[in-house]
Amino acid sequence: MTRLILSTSNIMTGGPSIIRKPGADRSNLELTNSLRSNFLAAQQDYSPPLSATNGSPGSSYDGDQPSHRPQASVWTTRQGSDFYIPTIDWSLSGLAEERSQYDITVKLFYLPGADVKERERYTKDAVGLVLKELGVESVDLLIVSFPGMSFDGDCEWEADKRNSAQGNDEEEIESWPALEELHTQGIVKKLGLAEFGSEKLARFLARVKVRPKVDQVNVKDCCNVPPPLLKLAKLERIELLTHNDCTDILPSGTLRELLGQGVRGAGVLSESKRGLDGMKGDLTPEWVVKYTAVVRDRGVIENKGYFAAAELEE
Amino acid sequence: MGLLALGTPLDWPEAKKNADHVRQWGVKQLLAIWNRAKGKEKDALLWGDEVEYLVVDYTDDDPRVTLSLRQADILHALAHDDKLCDEGGCVSDLQVVGKSSTLPIFHPEFGRFMLEATPGNPWGIGFKDLLDVELNMKLRRKIAKEHMNPEEYPITLTTYPRLGSPGTFTSPYYPPSGEKLRSQFVPDEIANPHIRFPTLAANIRSRRGRKVQVNVPVFKDKNTPWPWRDPTVNYDLHKWAEDDDVRNGAAPDNFIHMDAMAFGMGSCCLQITFQAKNITEGRQMYDQLSPLGPILLALTAATPIYKGFLADTDVRWNQISAAVDDRTPEELGETPLRHNRWRIPKSRYAPNSTYISEDPRLRKEYLDPHLITDPDVKQQLMDGGMDALLATHFAHLFIRDPIVIFAEDLKELDLTKTDHFENLQSTNWQHIRFKPPPAGNDIGWRVEFRPMEIQVTDFENAAFSVFIVLITRAILSFDLNFYIPIPKTDENMQTAHKRDAVLNDKFYFRKNPFPTRYPRPYSSNGIGSGTSTPVLSRPPTPTGPVEDEYMSMTIDEVINGGKPGSGNDFPGLIPLVESYLDSMNVDVETRCELARYLKLIRKRADGSLWTAAKWIREFVAGHEEYKHDSVVTEEINHDLIGSVLGIENPATGRGKGKEARNMEKFLGDFAPCVIGA
Repeated sequence: MTRLILSTSNIMTGGPSIIRKPGADRSNLELTNSLRSNFLAAQQDYSPPLSATNGSPGSSYDGDQPSHRPQASVWTTRQGSDFYIPTIDWSLSGLAEERSQYDITVKLFYLPGADVKERERYTKDAVGLVLKELGVESVDLLIVSFPGMSFDGDCEWEADKRNSAQGNDEEEIESWPALEELHTQGIVKKLGLAEFGSEKLARFLARVKVRPKVDQVNVKDCCNVPPPLLKLAKLERIELLTHNDCTDILPSGTLRELLGQGVRGAGVLSESKRGLDGMKGDLTPEWVVKYTAVVRDRGVIENKGYFAAAELEE
Repeated sequence: MGLLALGTPLDWPEAKKNADHVRQWGVKQLLAIWNRAKGKEKDALLWGDEVEYLVVDYTDDDPRVTLSLRQADILHALAHDDKLCDEGGCVSDLQVVGKSSTLPIFHPEFGRFMLEATPGNPWGIGFKDLLDVELNMKLRRKIAKEHMNPEEYPITLTTYPRLGSPGTFTSPYYPPSGEKLRSQFVPDEIANPHIRFPTLAANIRSRRGRKVQVNVPVFKDKNTPWPWRDPTVNYDLHKWAEDDDVRNGAAPDNFIHMDAMAFGMGSCCLQITFQAKNITEGRQMYDQLSPLGPILLALTAATPIYKGFLADTDVRWNQISAAVDDRTPEELGETPLRHNRWRIPKSRYAPNSTYISEDPRLRKEYLDPHLITDPDVKQQLMDGGMDALLATHFAHLFIRDPIVIFAEDLKELDLTKTDHFENLQSTNWQHIRFKPPPAGNDIGWRVEFRPMEIQVTDFENAAFSVFIVLITRAILSFDLNFYIPIPKTDENMQTAHKRDAVLNDKFYFRKNPFPTRYPRPYSSNGIGSGTSTPVLSRPPTPTGPVEDEYMSMTIDEVINGGKPGSGNDFPGLIPLVESYLDSMNVDVETRCELARYLKLIRKRADGSLWTAAKWIREFVAGHEEYKHDSVVTEEINHDLIGSVLGIENPATGRGKGKEARNMEKFLGDFAPCVIGA
């Protein structure tokens, strides 16, 4: 069994992959585009320079010519059962200024299909990678996104009503102690939830020890936050923040395509279970974590990126 | 324009003799600032907006509207309001304003019919701060109004439509043709009487050797006589030598002719100033905001009328530029250079001529090939330790003469002050201004964004202010690159003047604003080489043809992004701002409020809402009095001002019961609720 760890590195200077297209609300394009461009970049950067080989100038790694892709071993790293795609050069990690200058927000997506019982491990792994990448010992806010939740509807009113029956209360509450633990340890200063409507939030609050301080909802066009949610948030002093992510941020088909042999794939994974090149096997995306480091009093985003983990049963 | 100490101003012949003196001391003060502040670091984003008002005398029933010249009385009333004083005071030129005061601050301006108001404390980047901007602007308007006579109102139009028209346009009335301005059209009393202002106007005229010539092409309507001769020009005046100007061709056919500084400096603008983290960030921001200037000028267009005539241009910029143009015929290239040092291609009020960032993406091809600099000033600055790029910038500003010099200031050089430097710096009115830290406080390096026209409503002014702030955050976060050659920005600035440029014209803009990726350091064994610290190599400096880096775009494309399949992949300034906001923790209510601001700008850019210029034009065209001869009569002016008043003061100024027309097309859903409508 292999754990794949995908990463984007800092996407702020990554160009167009993170710019929202007009009208394209709530997509995972930022994640998939920036993973793809980081794979390409790593393939270029970790390949021997042309001067060091007898490669002809024609063998460019522009992604349109899978046959010229460098071997996975050049730009990825295996460490025990972990497989880093691409290789992470930890010597490049860290932030420019001292920790106190930053507001660091982390959002952890537990993906559908992943083992609920493993969430404690997922959480530690994800937060650990972020701490290492940013070179810090704590983050300011950790928001968790549970599978099967949304805040969708023609209007936020409708979204709030539908929301009550979504997700799985028991599983969500069972997952929470792992987060409370991080809070107690001081690794996470504030906890938050995503896509909790008024009823779910009320039920959740009644049963947890360390309460969430933030509820992140998707506000679409009508900008009409349902009064029950507003009221509850005010009463419980929970900040309602906006976001633009989708919940099922990395479906396994998307991941397979990203890593596969296609024109836009990374060439790490076989297309089929019986594939010829690369690894093969059942692929289960487990979690995705997004991190953002903002210089607090200047409103400048210095570092933003994603890690994603998947299990490959070979 | 802050007010300055009183003193004995030198008239031009004397000021001219002392110009070098002031420049020399200015250079020394600049070097003192440089040495004191070049290492200043980690300043927060603080920013402020400046809103300027015209004060009109208006009643529904009297067709005559006038500009109120009671600026000094209004400021006096504000400074002596006990309640405002208890809260800390709000007129920094007349009283000591308490540090804890949160009141807006009111300032005098060049025009005696103008007021300027700024927030009492600078804004930060807390998103809730951004929502206070509009409320604060409304508060400023309210406080100002409360200290005026009942028939006086502050309005935010760029220019007063009938400034300089025959008859009475001021209260009280003064006859034109005074000694300081020598204008046919406006009295000396139109300017703030503080000695600095009349001296500024007189010395510009004197240095220039004739009156300023502010000529705006007239809008040719179906009944406009053609060729059109400005019927208000008097060719038979013989009071001052400058009265010869019009007999010597100062007023060409088909142009509205104006002849005084007040026609330019009497315009209201919306200016935003940002504090940068350090000098490096300030220099980056200065460069990156420069190409945005013409875009925001066209998008905020609000100036279609001058001196009672419809103009064929939509914005104020060139008129201000001409109104303070102190260049001599030699400097203008009209006569051979004999007494002056150089020909100067631009007025003191003009688009930027320099880029100053130490950014490897700044290619020498972007720089202005016609830049004039004072080589001695540049050398002194470089000898003092300043780098060549920044020294070039200041050596360019220092080609100008100081206009207003007070005799008292020439006695002793005080290196802890910045007055001589500021004398030159603050009379170089470029569309972006790079501001070194002032003396005596902890303010950092700042950049001022100056091209925008004031908007009719506080909602619009807040929207544009906040938009610019968010753009700067997106620039810094995404490390955006908007560089185009400076002459292209100059061209864009002219394009922005065209009628409806926002819809019909194209502007040069950079196609790809994104930075090149920093490659990872390569080492043959794959992973980072352990002990040695890797050094990030800069991305290769791009070397393709500069002409391939930019293309002509509509304002809609610049603001909202290229349409799919159009061959223009520019992402659009609003999508860039939205992507920035998507990455920030913004609370629900703030995000919705910001969305309204962005929506206004999106709609102005795509033409679904009109600019103020268009709305005013349509107002005139649809007025029963209008004869399609380009003339904006007193009655039309009255009803226009009435409508403008009605928008922000629903209780008053409804223009004799006439509804404001086309509000849907101008402000859409954003129009303030009209009480009782």
